[in-house]
Amino acid sequence: MTAPTGAAVLARRRPLRAPEATRSNALPAGAWWLWALGLATAASRTTNPLLLGLLVGVAGYVVAARRTDAPWARSYGAFIRIGLFVIGVRLVFSVFLGSPIPGSHPLFTLPEVPLPGWAQGVRIGGRVTAEQLLFALYDGAKLATLLICVGAANSLANPARLLKSLPGALYEAGVAVVVAMTFAPNMVADVMRLRTARRLRGRPTGGIKAVLQIGLPVLEGALERSVAVAASMDARGYGRTAQVPPAVRHTTNVLTLGGLLGVCAGTYGLLAAQGAGYGLPLLIAGLVAAMAGLRLGGARSVRTRYRPDRWGARAWLVAGSGVAVAVAMIWAGGVLGEALHPGVVPLVAPVLPLWPAAAVLIGLLPAVVAPVPPSAGDPYSKEFQ
Amino acid sequence: MRPVRLGPRALAALVLVSAIGVIAFGWPLLADPGAGLAHSRDAPWLFAALLPLLVGVVVAMIADSGLDAKAVAMLGVLAAVGAALRPLGAGTAGLEPMFFLMVLSGRVLGPGFGFVLGSVTMFASALLTGGVGPWMPFQMLSMSWFAMGAGLLPGPDRLRGRAELLTLAGYGFVASFAYGTVMNLYGWTMVPPAGSGISFHAGDPLADNLVRFLAYCVATSLGWDLGRAVLTAVLTLAVGSPLLKALRRATRRANFEAQVTFDAPRE
Repeated sequence: MTAPTGAAVLARRRPLRAPEATRSNALPAGAWWLWALGLATAASRTTNPLLLGLLVGVAGYVVAARRTDAPWARSYGAFIRIGLFVIGVRLVFSVFLGSPIPGSHPLFTLPEVPLPGWAQGVRIGGRVTAEQLLFALYDGAKLATLLICVGAANSLANPARLLKSLPGALYEAGVAVVVAMTFAPNMVADVMRLRTARRLRGRPTGGIKAVLQIGLPVLEGALERSVAVAASMDARGYGRTAQVPPAVRHTTNVLTLGGLLGVCAGTYGLLAAQGAGYGLPLLIAGLVAAMAGLRLGGARSVRTRYRPDRWGARAWLVAGSGVAVAVAMIWAGGVLGEALHPGVVPLVAPVLPLWPAAAVLIGLLPAVVAPVPPSAGDPYSKEFQ
Repeated sequence: MRPVRLGPRALAALVLVSAIGVIAFGWPLLADPGAGLAHSRDAPWLFAALLPLLVGVVVAMIADSGLDAKAVAMLGVLAAVGAALRPLGAGTAGLEPMFFLMVLSGRVLGPGFGFVLGSVTMFASALLTGGVGPWMPFQMLSMSWFAMGAGLLPGPDRLRGRAELLTLAGYGFVASFAYGTVMNLYGWTMVPPAGSGISFHAGDPLADNLVRFLAYCVATSLGWDLGRAVLTAVLTLAVGSPLLKALRRATRRANFEAQVTFDAPRE
């Protein structure tokens, strides 16, 4: 077909409109993760339910606007359920196990369970106040929003692309993960096939015996296949490593092991009462050394990348919008602290602080600039929409 | 015959990262009451950012000392089985058949392979289900410990038959229960509301916090952990024997550590 497609026509008419996502211009997974982690950082800085709701809404809008039909795209909903579960658990614990929040609005009183002396820190039952429930709700909403932001990254970032951005030293492990992700659906299909075969033969498909008679052949078949996969990988030249000069190898080892030693000493320093002074710098220095070692360790695997991820302007905008939200919220936490943490004692209604709310809306930018995923419908809907 | 041989460097990295991991999980109980770490609520996030990097470094170190195509393929296939088994059991009272597979594979394929397998399985299943969350690095590390422990059980070459199955079932019971407890230690600082009777109180003496932690375990996950431990032991006893045979057969066929040598052509 020689006529320009609908998207091309639109792009010519409105040059700022986001293009349709293709394999070459899709955003790197890292950009989505940075955006989502920025929103999550912002969520960790406030307990204001209005701001938290706004953050969930922003993440949800972007997910709705830019998600694909891939199976992982549904995880936003799953993470919302996890978030609601967290809030529910916190409320239930607060009701049954008490809370140190001093409250003056008792709602009801549960019968208190007497406990032995060694468990005196634990209280079961007792008075339940509105303040303690509100406190549990605010705190739970913060954690839930954080998880929902992570869920947004899960549903927007392509895991295969995430694997591609692993450093070269983790190439073998990355290949193993790719093999696993390719095999797992096959395995489920194998189980389905064997179950159908059993049913057609008139044998039961439930029960322990049936599970064994289906599961064992599937596993044995999979192990057989792994030997075949290894043979084909070998035949295609997989696993050839480059000759690394001894100096580079020694530097890698020294950096990695020294870095790990530094991180180890740093974390143990953080445990001590006076250790924060040297613990954190030691930890960071060790981490930098270990990362440098990881990067140098990639020297043993020389390979080029097919269609490497390109950080174009759109990727920077997506990642930058998340970082901007985080920075704005951290700044706001220092300037107008009480608006971000509405009081529980005494009970006050939370108000929406204007500037932080406006800053959260920056997180909507990906819904405009990220490439639009191709719609799953028939080609005509793409042409004429 | 071990598919992954742990060299001295990989071993050192493994020990160091395990020592850091002990802190990452156990800081609520191990930190000095006056330490800043105990009071900041950022510690779980700090370690959630730190652990993936450290696990990556260890896996790279292990891969450096030799992870050939056969080991990678076997790793991928076993991780696929584990990842496919995981959603089967999720949500039904801790019935997670994945643990028993990890015990058997760790036993047959050794501690180094077991460590990598645990991490790769957790990572792959998180990617498959879109469940990459702050808990994933912790699950990766504890699953790695779990599978590695199975590889460290005594008598890998001589213990066979009923005695081996009993050992594995016993280990599976204890270790899968310990896995649940260790993951509780991670969730303890996050899930219960601050200041309740079963949540972590920063700055309190160890004994008080320990009682609260035990109360948290009993209140939230004892049923799940027991269900998982019993299922792991029962599955190991019931179907461990044919699975061990299948795994050993595959290992023999893969012929790990076969040395490829070329002779000069004879004149």
